[in-house]
Amino acid sequence: MSEHVTPGPGPVPTPRLPDANPPGSGSPDSHPSTPFPPSPSPSVPPPSLTSLVAACRRRAAHAVQRVTATALGPYQSAVLRIGFAGTWLLFLLREVPHRRELYGPDGPWSWDMARQLIARNHAFTALMWSDSAVWFEAVFAVAVLSSALLMLGWRTRTMSVIFMLGVLSLQNRSIFVGDGGDNVVHLMAIYLVLTRCGRVWSLDARRAATTARAAATAPVRDRVGPVLWGVMAVPLLVGTVTDGVTVEVWLLVLCWGMWAAQGLWWLANRRGPTGEARALLDVLANILHNGALLVIMAEVCLIYATAGWYKIQGSRWQDGTALYYPLKLDYFSPWPGLSDLLAANGIVVLLLTYGTVAVQVAFPFALLNRRVKNVLLVVMMLEHLGIAVLLGLPFFSLAMITADAVFLPTGFLLWLGGRAATRPRRPVPKSGGAPAPRVPVPSSGEQ
Amino acid sequence: MDTYDHKGGSAGPPPGVGIAGLSRRGQVVAAVALAAVGVVACVHLGMVFLHVAPSNTASKQYDEAVDDWVYPEFEQNWKLFAPNPVQSNIAVQARAEVADSDGALRTTGWIDLSAEDGAAIQGSLLPSHVNQNALRRGWDFYIGSHDEEERPNGLRGRLSESYVRRMVLSRLADREPAGRLERVQIRSVTTAVAPPPWSDEKARTRPYYRTLSWWTVTSEDLPEGARDGRAEGSRE
Repeated sequence: MSEHVTPGPGPVPTPRLPDANPPGSGSPDSHPSTPFPPSPSPSVPPPSLTSLVAACRRRAAHAVQRVTATALGPYQSAVLRIGFAGTWLLFLLREVPHRRELYGPDGPWSWDMARQLIARNHAFTALMWSDSAVWFEAVFAVAVLSSALLMLGWRTRTMSVIFMLGVLSLQNRSIFVGDGGDNVVHLMAIYLVLTRCGRVWSLDARRAATTARAAATAPVRDRVGPVLWGVMAVPLLVGTVTDGVTVEVWLLVLCWGMWAAQGLWWLANRRGPTGEARALLDVLANILHNGALLVIMAEVCLIYATAGWYKIQGSRWQDGTALYYPLKLDYFSPWPGLSDLLAANGIVVLLLTYGTVAVQVAFPFALLNRRVKNVLLVVMMLEHLGIAVLLGLPFFSLAMITADAVFLPTGFLLWLGGRAATRPRRPVPKSGGAPAPRVPVPSSGEQ
Repeated sequence: MDTYDHKGGSAGPPPGVGIAGLSRRGQVVAAVALAAVGVVACVHLGMVFLHVAPSNTASKQYDEAVDDWVYPEFEQNWKLFAPNPVQSNIAVQARAEVADSDGALRTTGWIDLSAEDGAAIQGSLLPSHVNQNALRRGWDFYIGSHDEEERPNGLRGRLSESYVRRMVLSRLADREPAGRLERVQIRSVTTAVAPPPWSDEKARTRPYYRTLSWWTVTSEDLPEGARDGRAEGSRE
C-alpha cells in the first residue's frame, strides 16, 4: 500500500487462473473466440451456448485479472493528486492573512459555536481538540505542509491521509464560509486516500526508480518510512482517544486501516519482492484504487448531471437569460466592465446559457464515445477558466478542471508530462537529432 | 472503461501478478475484497445519487438511510445558479450607537457591509472567502433558520444570530476604533437585478428591506480581537 517502501515487484509469475488470458495478450476484442465474430464464414458453425458462456467467462476473468493486477489510470490519478492538493494549497496560502477570521478559535464563527453544531452532526475536525490559538496555527501549518507534500508525491499514502484530515479539520470547523469548490475538495480528499496516486509523477516514483537501480548492487534500506509510520501512530492514538466516541466509525477504520496496511506492506517487502503476502497486498491495493477511481469518475458525472438537470427545470435557463444574472451580482462580478460587456449581448448570453445546460446534461453520456468526450472536456475546461475569472471563483474552477482531468486520455497526459519534463536542465546535445521526450519513470522500476 | 487508452499497459507502472498469480487462499481473499469494494462503491454511489437527486419516491422511502450514510462528510450540493440563478443583490447593512470617549452617544448611518465585500472582490483574481462567502452565506444561514417574525428555529437559528452579530461587530469595530459600540441594528436590502435590455419584462426597482431590531452589545458578541478595542489587523 505504501508506495514508498518498495524495491519494486519481482518477476511476474505466469497466471494460474484457468480462464484468464495471459497478460499482454491484447484486448479482449482481439481474442480469437469473440462471441460475435464480425463476419462468420458459412463453413463455421454458429457459436454454441457453451462456447458463448466460455467466452463470457474468459472476458470476466480477463477483467478481474486487469483490475487486480493494475492500478488503472496512473497518470489520471496523479493529476487528481497534484490538482486537488495544489488547489487546496493555493487556497490556504491565499487565505493566510484571513486564516484566523475564517477558521480560528476567535473568528466570528467561534470555537464554542462550532462545538455546539458539531455535537449534533459529528463531523470530524481536529480543531475541536483544543481552543488554543497555538493548536489552530499548528493544524493550519500541517494542512499547508501536507498539501505541498501530497502534491509533490512524497510518502504519498501517508500524506493523503494527513491531507484529508487537514481538509476536514478546517472545512468542518467553519462550514458557513465554503462554496462548491470546497465541497469538491472535501469529497476528493477522502476518495484520494484510497487510490495509488503516487505511482507516477511523484517523488515516491523517483525514489523507487533510484532505489531499484541501487538495489542491483547492494540492498537499500528505507529509514524515513518506518520512522514516519511510528510517528503517525501518535496523532492517530490521540485522535482516537479524544474523538473516539463521537467520530464516524468509517473514518477511524480508514485511518487505522491505512496505517496498518503501511506496516504490513513494509513487512511484506522485507520478506522479498516476490513473496505471496506482497502479491496479495498489491492486489488488494489495486482493487481499492480501482474502486475509488470508479467512484471519483461517477462522482464527477453526478456533479454535472445534477447541475444540468436542476438547471433544465429553471425558467431562466429555459428562456436563455440565466447567465445574465450572475454577471450582475456584486458578489460574483470582480470585473464589472467585462461582465457588462458579456451581459449586453442577448444572443451570446443565450448561446452560453443553452450551451452550459447541454454540455452538463450530455457529459455522462459523452463518456461512451472517446472523441465526443474529449471535445466536451475541452469545452468544460474552457468554461471553468471563464468562470474562474468572470465570476471570481478561481479555486472552484481549479477543482472542477482537476475533476475533469480524470477523463483525459493517457496519451495527452504523457505528452503534457513529456513537455514539462523536457524543459532543458542541462544543455541538450546538438548532434543525434531531436532528443527523445523523457517519459517519467514509473514508480516500481524494473531491474 | 473507454476513458483509458488500451495501450495503458506500456504507460505507467508495470502490472503486478493480479489475482491469477496468487495461491488459492490468496485468491479467496482477493475475491472477497473485490466483491466488498464493488458492493460498497455501488451502495455509496446509490446513496449519493439519492442525496443529490430531487426528492423522489426512492429518496423519500430511504430518507433516513441516505442521511445516515451521507452526513456529515459526504454532503454535497451542486445547485449553484440552479434551478434559477439568484436574481437580486442582497446587501447586509448595519448601523450602531457609538459611545465616544467623552461619553456622548451618536448613531452612525447605515453602513453597507456587502458593498465593502464587493469593493474588495472587484479587480481581484483571487477573491477571499472572507469577502465572497462569509457575510453572504452567513446571512443566508440566518434567513434559513428564522421565520418572518425573526424567531429562531432552535439551535441553528440561535447560532446563526450570534454568528451574524459577531461578523457585523468585528467589521464595525474596524471602522470605529475610537468609540465603544453600545447597540447595533442590522438590515438587509434586496434589490432585484434589472431584466436584460432585450427583455420586455418590467423591472422591479423598489428594494425590499428586512430590518432586525436593535440589540445591546455584550462581550459574547465580540470576537477576541475586537474585545481589546482593536480588530486583529489581519484584514486587508
